[in-house]
Amino acid sequence: MIFEPVSLNISQVSCERDDRLLFHNLSFALRSGDILRVAGPNGAGKTTLLRMIAGLFEVQDGVITIDQEPLSERRHQVLYIGHKPQVSRDLTVIDNLKFLTGFDEPVVKQALIDVGLRGYHDSLVKELSQGQGRRCALARLWCSEAPIWILDEPYTALDVTMVETLDRKINAHVAQGGLCLFTTHQLPQSLNFETLELGRVD
Amino acid sequence: MSIEKRMLARELKLAAARPGDIFKPMWFLMLVISMVPLALSPDSVLLADIGSAMIWVATLLALLLNTEHLFQSDFSDGVLEQWLFLDRPLAWLVGLKLIVHWLFHVVPLICITPIAGLMLSVPTDVLIALLMTLVVATPALTCFSGLGAALTLGSSRSGILGVLVMMPLFVPVVILAAGVLIRATDGSEILPLMALLGAFSLVAATLVPIAVSAAIRLNIGGSN
Repeated sequence: MIFEPVSLNISQVSCERDDRLLFHNLSFALRSGDILRVAGPNGAGKTTLLRMIAGLFEVQDGVITIDQEPLSERRHQVLYIGHKPQVSRDLTVIDNLKFLTGFDEPVVKQALIDVGLRGYHDSLVKELSQGQGRRCALARLWCSEAPIWILDEPYTALDVTMVETLDRKINAHVAQGGLCLFTTHQLPQSLNFETLELGRVD
Repeated sequence: MSIEKRMLARELKLAAARPGDIFKPMWFLMLVISMVPLALSPDSVLLADIGSAMIWVATLLALLLNTEHLFQSDFSDGVLEQWLFLDRPLAWLVGLKLIVHWLFHVVPLICITPIAGLMLSVPTDVLIALLMTLVVATPALTCFSGLGAALTLGSSRSGILGVLVMMPLFVPVVILAAGVLIRATDGSEILPLMALLGAFSLVAATLVPIAVSAAIRLNIGGSN
């Protein structure tokens, strides 16, 4: 699948939380093919920025647009995976993914094979290990039609093989004309990304 | 598969995966009702007099018991925030969830009230009126307690707080239902009050999903 060219514009965005200024007049633009790593110390506002771009946190000051259109019009073009489990513990792996992606069983099963969860499709999420649960949440990337990926700490709890698999997937995604924002404290080896450093503003 | 079908399939599977959520309130209701004759008096005339009101209040409490955490696990798992990315208005999805919740968690409660009625020797015509008020009033009660649950999602002791916040909205429903029961006992006309109860439920079912979706957005905005 090849995506239509897509652009994400963040202009003059500021954020204050609990009387602390997290970032001020932040502006950048991403186009198809871009990968951006949002970096910074704990509490620098990485998650807040990603949630703002995903439309989960209200933009107090500034404008975020996708292809010059307001965020709220283009929600379905965004795939956001936060650091919460993103899956229901009481449901099976496949039921979770069928709900979240809207794809039928064969597609979802293939995605599970791709993330190394072959044979786990009928397991309840609460029976999985933490890393497997994370793989289950990330399996959505393998059956996503959204061009804009926003991943908050996607590498947490993943083993080396899965980290490589995820890097390959992100590379394939941007090669198809998608774009990806993520946060991590580990430096991915095989990704060609730019870094946005969020520091404390005093 | 359409988003509506996906939502319904998921809610059904969740209900099947958590049978305790369905049966615990039913046990609670039966327990309360079976204690009444022991605590009060086994005199069947007295029990018949107060029975319908007792059952009504016990059903309300049982309903609060299973609705107070309606959105909690979806919220803490981060699945609720994924609803915002579905190509449907959040209020519509919330409405679906409330309907499924009513069907699977509240209707079973209503279904066992005739047994409770027999235990307290409630006369048949009053029992029928009781069942009718519950069917007509519980959609409103489910909506209101769902709103309480959504408003208090972010706070740790959400259960009782949500119930407290919504208390003023329960009061008119209880008063109207009690009015129906008194009239049914007297043998007078119950239709006007039933119509008012029904109107209450219809207004709640139309407006509450919008309020719930606003409350959910607010809580998602405040969380990480």
